[in-house]
Amino acid sequence: MSEQQPGTTDRLKRRSLLATLAAAPLAPAVLSACSTGESVDTGDDGGTGGGAGGFVAAISARPDQYDPHKTTAYASFQVLENVYDTLVVPGADDLSMQPSLATDWETSDDELTWTFTLRDGVTFHDGSPFTAEDVVFSYRRIIDQDLANSSRFATVAEVSAPDPTHVVVSLTSPTPNLLSRLGGFKGMAILPRTVDEASLTTAAVGTGPFRLESTSADEISLKRFDGYWGEAPRVGGLTFRVVPEPAAALTALTGGQVQWTDNVPPQQVEKLSGDDSVELGRVASVDYWYLAMNCAKAPFDQVDVRRAVAFALDREAVTEAAKFDTARVNQTAIPEASEWYHDYAPFTTDVDRARQLLAGAGVGGPLTMGLMVTSEYPETVTAAQVVASQLEPLGITVDIQTEDFATWLDRQGRGDFDAFVLGWLGNIDPADFYEDQHRTGGSNNYQKYSNPVTDDLLDRAKVEPDQAARKALYDRAAEQIVDDVSYLYLYNPDAVQAWEPGITGYEVRADKAVNFDTVTLPS
Amino acid sequence: MSGVALRRTLQALVVLLGVSVATFALVHLVPGDPVRLALGTRFDQATYDALRERAGLDQPLLAQYLSWIGHAVTGDLGVSFRSGDPVTALILERLPATLSLALASILVALLIAIPLGTASALRPRSLVDGFGTVVSQIGISVPEFWMGIMLILVFAGTLGWFPASGYVPLGEDPAGWLRSLVLPAVTTGLVSGSVLTRFTRSSVLEALGAEHVRTARAKGLGPRAVLRGHVLRNAMLPLVTVTGVQLAYLLSGVVVVEIVFAWPGLGQLALQSVQARDYPVLQGAVLLFAFVFLLLNLAVDLLYSKLDPRIAS
Repeated sequence: MSEQQPGTTDRLKRRSLLATLAAAPLAPAVLSACSTGESVDTGDDGGTGGGAGGFVAAISARPDQYDPHKTTAYASFQVLENVYDTLVVPGADDLSMQPSLATDWETSDDELTWTFTLRDGVTFHDGSPFTAEDVVFSYRRIIDQDLANSSRFATVAEVSAPDPTHVVVSLTSPTPNLLSRLGGFKGMAILPRTVDEASLTTAAVGTGPFRLESTSADEISLKRFDGYWGEAPRVGGLTFRVVPEPAAALTALTGGQVQWTDNVPPQQVEKLSGDDSVELGRVASVDYWYLAMNCAKAPFDQVDVRRAVAFALDREAVTEAAKFDTARVNQTAIPEASEWYHDYAPFTTDVDRARQLLAGAGVGGPLTMGLMVTSEYPETVTAAQVVASQLEPLGITVDIQTEDFATWLDRQGRGDFDAFVLGWLGNIDPADFYEDQHRTGGSNNYQKYSNPVTDDLLDRAKVEPDQAARKALYDRAAEQIVDDVSYLYLYNPDAVQAWEPGITGYEVRADKAVNFDTVTLPS
Repeated sequence: MSGVALRRTLQALVVLLGVSVATFALVHLVPGDPVRLALGTRFDQATYDALRERAGLDQPLLAQYLSWIGHAVTGDLGVSFRSGDPVTALILERLPATLSLALASILVALLIAIPLGTASALRPRSLVDGFGTVVSQIGISVPEFWMGIMLILVFAGTLGWFPASGYVPLGEDPAGWLRSLVLPAVTTGLVSGSVLTRFTRSSVLEALGAEHVRTARAKGLGPRAVLRGHVLRNAMLPLVTVTGVQLAYLLSGVVVVEIVFAWPGLGQLALQSVQARDYPVLQGAVLLFAFVFLLLNLAVDLLYSKLDPRIAS
């Protein structure tokens, strides 16, 4: 049938040895060498890093789309932050509202009319000039189509353009935080009135320092916009690369394939702090994480039961387990660095007191509390495990229910929970922290908390133009909310980011906005 | 033959229709609301209602299904609920990365499985056989994400031979493409290879025990000639089937490995659409996977009849 030939199996055996043992070691010899630690040119590791002067940032998740008025994904805003502008913008140091596309603004005596003066000589990425009509168009688009951020215009009656350089916003009631509503983040971006709306999901026309050049499943490429009204960016291009796995992101950073990443797990921070090949930036963020109990469900409808849980918890231990050393314990929502911070911490870990409160509420026997957490945010799962062990001495059995986020949100919306753990991200004004979550019937008051005292304080604070008086009202509201345990506040996490040593002109911000327009690569 | 082909095509169409109904039902039965997910936690009712209406999610389910399948027949799988991109474009965009990884993984798997499995079968309970058993046990039992991260740390980190993650399109930079492919392909190839090694071993053993092999030996043929002429060809038949199944599985994306290596393949797309409850993308992807599976199944059958004259109709 066949001649005797050099043995097939022998040849196969040799090939298999090659395949299994030698393929990897041979490969670098066969292929060109990998990029060195030099990161001046990122073109050589296959990325379209904008060629020389490019800067590659590894982000943890993929942007879902690029329409700033529609997306709610943080990953999208990491990109859009560098592409779009708003009328005003949070300052890097204290997040107070600073001029951007508007250079200044006036408020009428009755607080119901705001007039914004617009910056001259601003052009969109498509070359068209920026005028007041574009502001009207952008705001009307959000309002008329009920887009994701339309609630920010809740008190806005009309937006008009009396001339090309002025925009007038008329209000139904005084809105002292109008600036943070209009400029808190890039979801309020200004688009040109001529834009093709359908194209916005994948293309962008902004006034920001970078143009959106191209997008793919794993890479987004931006180019410096030469017509930018501000100071020209130092880097010619930006590439955002989606790298979900932290180990891969950090290896790429130390290997010089990327220059920046926010994919830094809390447990790695200590190790990286002592690592010369990485520069680590940390700042207390404006996010907060909390536990909420269902005020519409016995026995959690009783304030003493909720207070018992608050006295039983050791927040330090919960925070340490969930975030290692990268979060700060806080019994209110607003972090210490904010000008709106109010120092109020009535709860100590006091199990005896907790027992008394439970007994006083008539909860004698053992109690089971379902605690809903989500795999989308692993820290909620860790926190829940610690909470469970801390409530055990009270005779409360915690049933930890880990759901995927879609199911979690579904149950939250239906009120189908005893308690849950989650966070609120990117808050600036105290209204962001307290209004929708704790006002009776508030759009995010899923725990169904209702207290007329709190409502009254929030309603007055909402329209109080004097900042000191407004803060005093929010301080009192916060105390009431904490005392009633509408939310059981846990901690403010740090924003942690890492970049290549020698990079200058970049700082971590409390609102986690990533601005790369001033970044300079090591020479 | 044309009768057979026609029957097979009709069968495939019926299966696809069944898959489409099952997929649609499953996707819509799973709890979770895409509108709430897309809006995040901060939104009001008017926004919610507007988005729901825009996506057609306020229509009755039957109407939604009929509209979807009606368009699907014309090759239009709709647009992503989340990004507004056409589903077909989203899938096509990810096909090159998935094809690269699937084919490279199968290559790695076969390079491991055929020699190791054959050698193990020729000398059962020898040192080689033991080695083969250990290797495939490791490949089957070690989690892919761990293996992937270890490979990244050693070969991308310490040694710096390969990029830590990411995919480079072949058309852009062939050398870069190959370099970006090695670590993920080895990760998935080791797993598939382990399965195929055990399989090769048992089918070679079976072929060795066949009557005609004894006859050939009795005729005085040397062991190599026997192996080449009488054993391998028979032993490879079942391997073709299993390889086809493995390939179909790889073509539908390898989620874990794609996440670890930031590989923009179909697995990632499927996972993201599940997480976002992006119904159109999910339905389109599953329909495509079913289609690929049926196609490969058909190809394997045809190949089979080529290889095994007893089956040829």
